[in-house]
Amino acid sequence: MRESSGNCGKCGICLSVCPVYKVLKEEQASPRARVQLIRAYGEKRLASTPLLKELIAKCLMCGSCAANCPSGVDHYSSFMEMRSRLIDDHGDRLEIRGLVYLLARERRLRMAMGMARMGQGVLPDRVAARFKLGNIAVDRFPRLNSRQFRKTVPEEIAPAKEAGQERGTVLYFTGCASNYIYGETGEAVVGLLTRLGYRVIIPREQSCCSVPMLYHGGVDEALTNIEQNIKSFHRPDIKAIIVDCPTCGSALKHEFAAMMERFDRGELMRQKALDIAEKTLDIMSFVYSHLSEMRFSRDSSTPIPEGPVSYHLPCHLKNSFVSAERVLNNIAEVDYVAAEDTSECCGGGGTFFYEYPEVAGKIAGSKIDNIRRTGAKTWLTDCPVCRINLSARLDSADDITMMHPAKYLQQKLVDVIREEDGDCDSCNGL
Amino acid sequence: MLEHAVKSELIALLGDRFSDEPEILTCYAYDSFLEESMPDAVIFPKTTDEVAKIMALANRAKVPVTARGAGTSVCGAPIAAEHGIVLCFSKMDKIMEVNTADRYVVVQPGVINGDLQKVLAPSGFFFPPDPGSMNFSTIGGNVALNAGGPRCLKYGVTKDYVLGMQVVLASGKVVRFGSKNIKDVTGYNFTSLFCGSEGTLGMVTEVTLKVIARPETTQTLLVTFADLDSTARAVSDIIGSGILPVSMELLDKMTINAIEDAVQMGLPREAGGTLLIEVDGSREACDRERSQIVHKVKEHNVMAVEEAEDEADRNRLWAARRAAYGVFAKIAPDILSEDVTVPVSKVPEMIRRIYQITEKYNLKAGVLAHAGDGNMHPLICADRKNKEEWKLVKKAFREIFVAGAELEGTLSGEHGIGLAKAEFLPLVMDQESRDFMACIKKAVDPNNILNPGKFV
Repeated sequence: MRESSGNCGKCGICLSVCPVYKVLKEEQASPRARVQLIRAYGEKRLASTPLLKELIAKCLMCGSCAANCPSGVDHYSSFMEMRSRLIDDHGDRLEIRGLVYLLARERRLRMAMGMARMGQGVLPDRVAARFKLGNIAVDRFPRLNSRQFRKTVPEEIAPAKEAGQERGTVLYFTGCASNYIYGETGEAVVGLLTRLGYRVIIPREQSCCSVPMLYHGGVDEALTNIEQNIKSFHRPDIKAIIVDCPTCGSALKHEFAAMMERFDRGELMRQKALDIAEKTLDIMSFVYSHLSEMRFSRDSSTPIPEGPVSYHLPCHLKNSFVSAERVLNNIAEVDYVAAEDTSECCGGGGTFFYEYPEVAGKIAGSKIDNIRRTGAKTWLTDCPVCRINLSARLDSADDITMMHPAKYLQQKLVDVIREEDGDCDSCNGL
Repeated sequence: MLEHAVKSELIALLGDRFSDEPEILTCYAYDSFLEESMPDAVIFPKTTDEVAKIMALANRAKVPVTARGAGTSVCGAPIAAEHGIVLCFSKMDKIMEVNTADRYVVVQPGVINGDLQKVLAPSGFFFPPDPGSMNFSTIGGNVALNAGGPRCLKYGVTKDYVLGMQVVLASGKVVRFGSKNIKDVTGYNFTSLFCGSEGTLGMVTEVTLKVIARPETTQTLLVTFADLDSTARAVSDIIGSGILPVSMELLDKMTINAIEDAVQMGLPREAGGTLLIEVDGSREACDRERSQIVHKVKEHNVMAVEEAEDEADRNRLWAARRAAYGVFAKIAPDILSEDVTVPVSKVPEMIRRIYQITEKYNLKAGVLAHAGDGNMHPLICADRKNKEEWKLVKKAFREIFVAGAELEGTLSGEHGIGLAKAEFLPLVMDQESRDFMACIKKAVDPNNILNPGKFV
């Protein structure tokens, strides 16, 4: 759980790490201001108004302020609670409410994605190019999976034959993105885990990690979802819970236990949530702990674009896990080139890119200028929203392919050499 | 509240870069100091011409105007004490010219100090003033507060790097002082007058800064002493022997332990004090100075000397110093950090006095210092809601400033006066001197619209 021991000393350090402040250069867009606004509201110096809601909501919820606050202020939780309160008072945009409604039940999401897939199939390209979500043309969004990923694989997947002796079992939280949009990421994650000798269980009953609901006032829906996920994922016999999406990962690591405590769901549920938090690991950290066993190819026959590869570090990975850059930097066969702003936010932020397209566009525009300077033809990122936000803003002339680093590594992975069977290093003390 | 006509004129000039919504104004009622005051409006000009029009209007309507950069001042300087308009320079953030051949840059006031450093780095140059807030504070704010920082021991404070500036006066007239020349003794030295004037004399809309070449190398030492007195004596001994390090940062026992409680950096909890010392220059000069320093500190009850081996190690040592203010904010809701400054030979005595005073009032306090230039940061942790305790905090600070004045020190080494220290000014400036300041203020701002309610 996040530490919340600090008092805001108004020092302003958070201004230097807030992507929205960096673009707008207005105090009201800063984390420090939001803390002061919440304080003023709490002291009844400010009323609940639509403008207050807007100021609190104009935040990517990237968590960089909390991660860098020297006095340990938990911006993240207080912003989330305040967002909920203000949405209760003033409502939310219809389409955002619709999203919360869909994410709250897996079957609703499944149905909606089915309809969206059909829509993508019949919508003529020139029509799709005319309509925009935020300031991104509809045809720039990724094609949805033809079948949801979890339906394409069994619930339990044995280790690959060439992996030798089985090393243990891991659970895989696919998140909505891999399940409905980026199925190839799911395939790559399973591929890497099974080739490393792990049995992979993808619980059928998993549902949305709840972060989008928590950001948009769907606290009751989030609570139901989180309890469902805790029941599906609490398995004492497993070595790790693998996530491919940093935001889902941050939810498993922080929000599940926090919600069990906040809503007093009992010690047992709290303990289960803490156990999940402890075992949650992003796929690239898992790969990093096995890197010495993995052999990669420089010249791959798989369809990876030639030339250097670059990487965008998602905020939730940076603030809850460790940058996947360390993996890329440690593989001799990877021609890795860091962009000037690899670790800067892309402006995606869940639905932020849709709600505040101008701000998101400015933040992403700077990232795209910098990736062009690197000359990379492959741009990796773990977060599906970052990928949507950035890839949609690339020009077709850019000739840059975006993918999850797991997909990239899976395509380059030639062999796994295990000199002796042992436990996964990273799982010790997870 | 602004008169309707003034508001209309400002909106006509600035459009949506004007706001008087209470939610927005709440965000401009504070800086990093404790006191707050709501302005009537906040505006974001983008050009000198706009600032000139705004000032002419404000002067005519006699509306107070308080300049603000990123609001990171720790003395309340950009707080609109008498309400009126907060004029926020954060959108005037262009680096207009970088000329390393002639060793200057021209910037707008909203440029962030750290951003300027990033732009200069590839050319091997830098801008030496490095306030703790350098990654988010603006050059305009640095000029207005005459900001310093750890490396100012060797390199001097902001005023030592301001070659010229463009200023909008209270009347709305635009004037230029100084030039782009490293040597310029033409006329009154108005650039120095405006450095530290805290927005009481005019609006600085463009600054020409001197930049210098980066030294070949930097070496960092962390020295641990058994007691604080030895730590302080080591400081004056090193400086007195003619060695001039870039920085000499002092942390006392309470600070060390507060850092360790919060972030576990491996600092020695039993130490009475530590000094983070940095030297720079050619490799030979650094090696020589470093060994001289090690030799000197060993005469002062030293417990350990740790030398940074590489950049990562150097960052690790500095991380402790940088964490210091934040960890105090963990201890109590309100932290008061002042910057009383004394001649370096009197640092040991000043530290003793600070301890005596805070112990007398039973206050939780630590001492941080840019000790090499005598710039002390006594930090007191308290809760303003505890009115009795807060009265003692105020008494303690008065006595600390009195002690500083008795030791021929001054109220501020780098934070400025603002709302925090205006009442203490008579301790270090006599009536005639203060009258002279008031006389200058009156001459350039007869309607007292520029940041009124502050030290002049």
